[in-house]
Amino acid sequence: MGKKMLNFEEQCKILNLLKSSSEQKSIEEMLTEFFTNPKLRHFNVCYSLSLLLQDKMMLSSTERLVAFAILHRSYSSQKSAANPFISFLVNAACDEGAENYERAFILHLLGFGNSNSSKEFLKQSASEYIKKFDPSSQTFPQKEQLQKQYLEKAHPEPYACLLKSTAVKNVLADPDVPPGCDANSAEFDLEPGAKSKLGSGDRDEALSGLIANLSLEGLIPHWIRPLPPRFPVDEELVWLNPDNNHELQWDQGMCADTSRGAAVRDLIAKALRGPLAPNQQEQVLVELANDPKLVYHCGLTPRKLPELVESNPLIAVDVLIKLINSPEIAEYFTVLVNMDMSLHSMEVVNRLTTAVELPKEFVRTYITNCISSCENIKDKYMQNRLVRLVCVFLQSLIRNRIIDVKDLFIEVQAFCIEFSRIREAAGLFRLLKTLE
Amino acid sequence: MDSRDSSSSLVPNRDGTAGDDDGVLSVTAALAKDAALYFQSRKLAECVDVLTELKTKKEGDPKVLHNIAIAEFLRDGCSDPKKMLEVLNNIKRSEELAHASEEQVESGSDVGNKVTSGSKESSSTTRQVSASHSASTIYTAEFDTSVISLNIAVIWFHLHEYAKALSVLEPLYKNIEPVDETTALHICLLLLDVLLASCDASKSADVFNYLEKAFGVGNVSQGDNGNILLQQSTNLVGKLSSVPSSSLVSDVSTPELAASVKASENPLSRTLSEDPLDEMFSTLDIAGQNLSRSADLTSPKELPRTTVDRSIFGVDLKLKLQLYKVRFLLLTRNIKLAKREVKHATNIARGRESSTALLLKAQLEYARGNHRKAIKLLMASTNMTDAAISSMFNNNLGCIFYKLGKYHTSAVFFSKALSNCSSLQKKKPLKLFTFSQDKSLHITYNCGLQYLACGKPIIAARCFQKASLIFYKRPLLWLRLAECCLMAVEKGLVEGSRPPSNRSEIRVDVIGKGRWRKLLIDDGISRSRLVDSVGKDDWTLGGDQEPKLSLPLARQCLYNALHLLNCSDSSHLKSLLPSNSSLEENESCDGASSKNPNHKSLVGIDSKPSTLSIGLVNSNGDLKEPKTGTNQEMIHNSVAYFADICRKENQMMKQALLANLAYIELELENPLKALSAARSLLELPGCSRIYIFLGHVYAAEALCLLNKPKEAAEHLSIYLSGPNKVESPFSQEDCEQWLVEKPIDCEEPNGGGAAATAAKNPSPEGTQEFMFLKPEEACGTLYANLAALYATQGELDRAHQFTTQALSLLPNSTEATMTAIYIDLVLGKSQEALSKLKHCSHVRFLSSNLQSNKSS
Repeated sequence: MGKKMLNFEEQCKILNLLKSSSEQKSIEEMLTEFFTNPKLRHFNVCYSLSLLLQDKMMLSSTERLVAFAILHRSYSSQKSAANPFISFLVNAACDEGAENYERAFILHLLGFGNSNSSKEFLKQSASEYIKKFDPSSQTFPQKEQLQKQYLEKAHPEPYACLLKSTAVKNVLADPDVPPGCDANSAEFDLEPGAKSKLGSGDRDEALSGLIANLSLEGLIPHWIRPLPPRFPVDEELVWLNPDNNHELQWDQGMCADTSRGAAVRDLIAKALRGPLAPNQQEQVLVELANDPKLVYHCGLTPRKLPELVESNPLIAVDVLIKLINSPEIAEYFTVLVNMDMSLHSMEVVNRLTTAVELPKEFVRTYITNCISSCENIKDKYMQNRLVRLVCVFLQSLIRNRIIDVKDLFIEVQAFCIEFSRIREAAGLFRLLKTLE
Repeated sequence: MDSRDSSSSLVPNRDGTAGDDDGVLSVTAALAKDAALYFQSRKLAECVDVLTELKTKKEGDPKVLHNIAIAEFLRDGCSDPKKMLEVLNNIKRSEELAHASEEQVESGSDVGNKVTSGSKESSSTTRQVSASHSASTIYTAEFDTSVISLNIAVIWFHLHEYAKALSVLEPLYKNIEPVDETTALHICLLLLDVLLASCDASKSADVFNYLEKAFGVGNVSQGDNGNILLQQSTNLVGKLSSVPSSSLVSDVSTPELAASVKASENPLSRTLSEDPLDEMFSTLDIAGQNLSRSADLTSPKELPRTTVDRSIFGVDLKLKLQLYKVRFLLLTRNIKLAKREVKHATNIARGRESSTALLLKAQLEYARGNHRKAIKLLMASTNMTDAAISSMFNNNLGCIFYKLGKYHTSAVFFSKALSNCSSLQKKKPLKLFTFSQDKSLHITYNCGLQYLACGKPIIAARCFQKASLIFYKRPLLWLRLAECCLMAVEKGLVEGSRPPSNRSEIRVDVIGKGRWRKLLIDDGISRSRLVDSVGKDDWTLGGDQEPKLSLPLARQCLYNALHLLNCSDSSHLKSLLPSNSSLEENESCDGASSKNPNHKSLVGIDSKPSTLSIGLVNSNGDLKEPKTGTNQEMIHNSVAYFADICRKENQMMKQALLANLAYIELELENPLKALSAARSLLELPGCSRIYIFLGHVYAAEALCLLNKPKEAAEHLSIYLSGPNKVESPFSQEDCEQWLVEKPIDCEEPNGGGAAATAAKNPSPEGTQEFMFLKPEEACGTLYANLAALYATQGELDRAHQFTTQALSLLPNSTEATMTAIYIDLVLGKSQEALSKLKHCSHVRFLSSNLQSNKSS
């Protein structure tokens, strides 16, 4: 439910104040007494009073004066424009339907016209003020004039939500009187001691009830905010199936005989430094064949591949074929394609092409490298030798349909023409022509 | 490390260095063999004794330490797997540390060499380098943590920590080639279990393909004739001149190998000859000859791994893999194929009782919506003496009854399943398997869903909180928690929220009597301020204390879910081809669970014959190729189909998440955030009409709260077909399509919580599932909100018209009534306002005396 605007203490305070307004205490006295409590929430108090004041019947004339005085005094330490109820006060002062003494009282409060004698009128009690009020002594200014004087300097309306700023008062008069009777007639007031009759009621009871129940929020238009639906349960329920049992595994590699592996490692290390004897070579190949995993543990790394290729191309071919599924194979290929052209590297590549499917890009790059190596070599003898090698290599690749000539046609043709003085190049050229 | 000494010297002398160590080696090898035998026969105490002796001989050998840890753990009844993990991780780390320091030495020497030699050609230095390298690589060769890693993953798996298991297994799988066959197979099978458990279809398909390729299983029948097949495949391999594998087949392959070695000798010997070119020609010639032979060979990629431990081959493995396949197909909701494959599984089992196969069959029928048949199959499979099986049985029955809309029956079965689990825990001696058999957290999740369906958000949230220990990565869990919060707030079970009875009525304080009587309308809908933050102790993952449900907690949960969803989206994008964005909204709903599964995209798969037919035993290599193709195609198609389902489900979930988020932000009075959530919702591709409606309504309210009534009006006027006529934002069909669950029958009376709704609404329990507006109510909502909007703007006539229409559709709506009263009051028609108040059925008049007593 909406929050109550006033706590119990504040409610009592207001009720006492209103009750005492008919006494002979001076207004000033009452005000001072009222503001003794520092915990008082000025806005809440003033807002409740303003709501009560809006209902012309609810408060007696003296009570209204005191209430107006409170509205003014609560914010009197600041400029009048800072008073959130200033427009309420100004409107009340201009309300033609209101009693003149009330309007004059508000003008007095606001210090309109005779600002020097400002506080004098508060020294009397509210009833005295009404009694002594001389209608002829007071002129009532136009609303515009008052608004100009008190509201113009007002701050622009602070941010307020549209919905809330359009709120209307949520108190409705619902007089419970017999049909046809005037609800405002005093005949329905409850006389003390008199027998209650239909439609009679006690004002004080209503007043205290209102003060107790007023809420800060007025009535606003309401949006319907549909609650989002619950997400449907589709495949969400967990269906259970028996799990497969996975046992902890014993490490069979513990203290395993690694001598054979060690031998191969030694031989591979040796093979990096120079050609192995035929029986040694066979041992390596047999051991590698016996244990398909050995190749991963034989001590070869991509960086060492060039040495193996140069010293023992056949072992290199075997190892590379076995490593074809290794995640490192690309690295091996990169090393192979970038190493210096030589008979052995060509032999390795050639054998690889027949045994496994090599990445197309690798073969291409390799051939391009071969051709540019031939072009860049300075030593004429070495150049001739290399060109002849490359030509034979290319012929082999073409004949075995390892490469598609179309991919490299221009490059290879240019190479043949450049080295047409060499017999093998001319042969390659003829081969190309036949394929055209 | 004798070999290390030998290789570090430039002139290795193997025979010399091996000499002294040989004795030690044989003693340790013998001990190791004994230990292994004891381990196999599960004589663990003896095993540990032998290992302890071995330890004194091989101080600090990680493999010895590892095996000791394993044997001791099993001997002591697997009591503390977490501690075991710690032990294993420590051993692994120390081994890795040792390895890393070696590598550093290596790379250090590397730098030095690069500086001195500069290029690789200078052969003398290079040789030096290679020598020093070989020293360290030999150490590298000894460095093998695959078994220990596998065991770590095994333990995580049994603890249901699939993400953690995966983080160990994936690097292993990535580098599986060097791992020995037996371990590799274990890794693959465990990985498959973990991936299936974490619903990762595409990766499990990858493992399937690998298993097929590497082990020759999955597409060819190993059956009882495994040996024949093995020989066949190795024959195939043998032809490849250099890749024979197991000792079993070495007879076959050796001649070939010898030939190839001899062949290669030729050019080699000629290397010594004078003319290198001659030699070149010869090599090339030989290569040419080889070519003719190798042309028709399969590439080595197809090579089967054949040295795997005999014992895990045969029918068991075949059945196992078949069951994996069925699980995979069920996961990908490829119902038709799953049905076929499960039949094959029973054929393979050949009458032997396979409770797994039966449970899978039951799951299949459950997925097809044949609940009666599913129950029948479950009944047939149960071996009630086994606590683990009966907990699954009860849980699965619970699932079926939930789907039937009988939430209270399902609750009974879920709680039975839970008590089965707790009895499982008490069983001694404990096995590691017991941990994974304890599915109480999974069952608890199901309980959570069931409680939510029964309208018990707090206890449901508690279930989800417990289950979050394993499901914290699922966005759906967080969405459900948010729903718990929303429901709790809605029911007034949360501190600061109002009891439900106060939400749907207007409270009027009657003050004073007689002529002084005043009516004070309590603007009940404006809520008391709710705390806008989550307390530190409100929520803990898997916590035991009651979670403190609140709207801010709901918001936090939704953010979690959105984050997880976005993560999975981006990972999906990486792995999948961009699929067409045109969507049929209802497809994912029809999905697998409805009676007629929608498998349009699967036509291609369905028409293909199964590839796992039994008759393949005698097939030759030629047949293998096309079969493999079909099998892989099937798996591939299933993955693609499943990815599509997942994408759609994620889209649906995103809609729900954003709608909930917008709602919660509105409730928490953060219109700006609500607006952005609503806008994101409206921007979602293929958003369902229901959620588009919600998106517009939330956006409009948020904009109105932000003082932008014009923009708010734009959102609502989308549904205006005439000046004052609203068209239905969605149809009844939309609701039905969106709502997958349709309670099939309901024989049970409603219990406690649902009684109130049931009284008003004679439909079955299932209505709890879908408590959303009917299309005409949605129209009414739009009218009411248009009225509120125009009332705020001061267009009272229009507002009045809309409010009349709203009240004709939603006569019981407090909000619409309040707006109507508001308009009357602004127009000064207080008598009409009074009469509306007095005629509204949802007003409660409270005497002021009572009130003032209460507040004083």
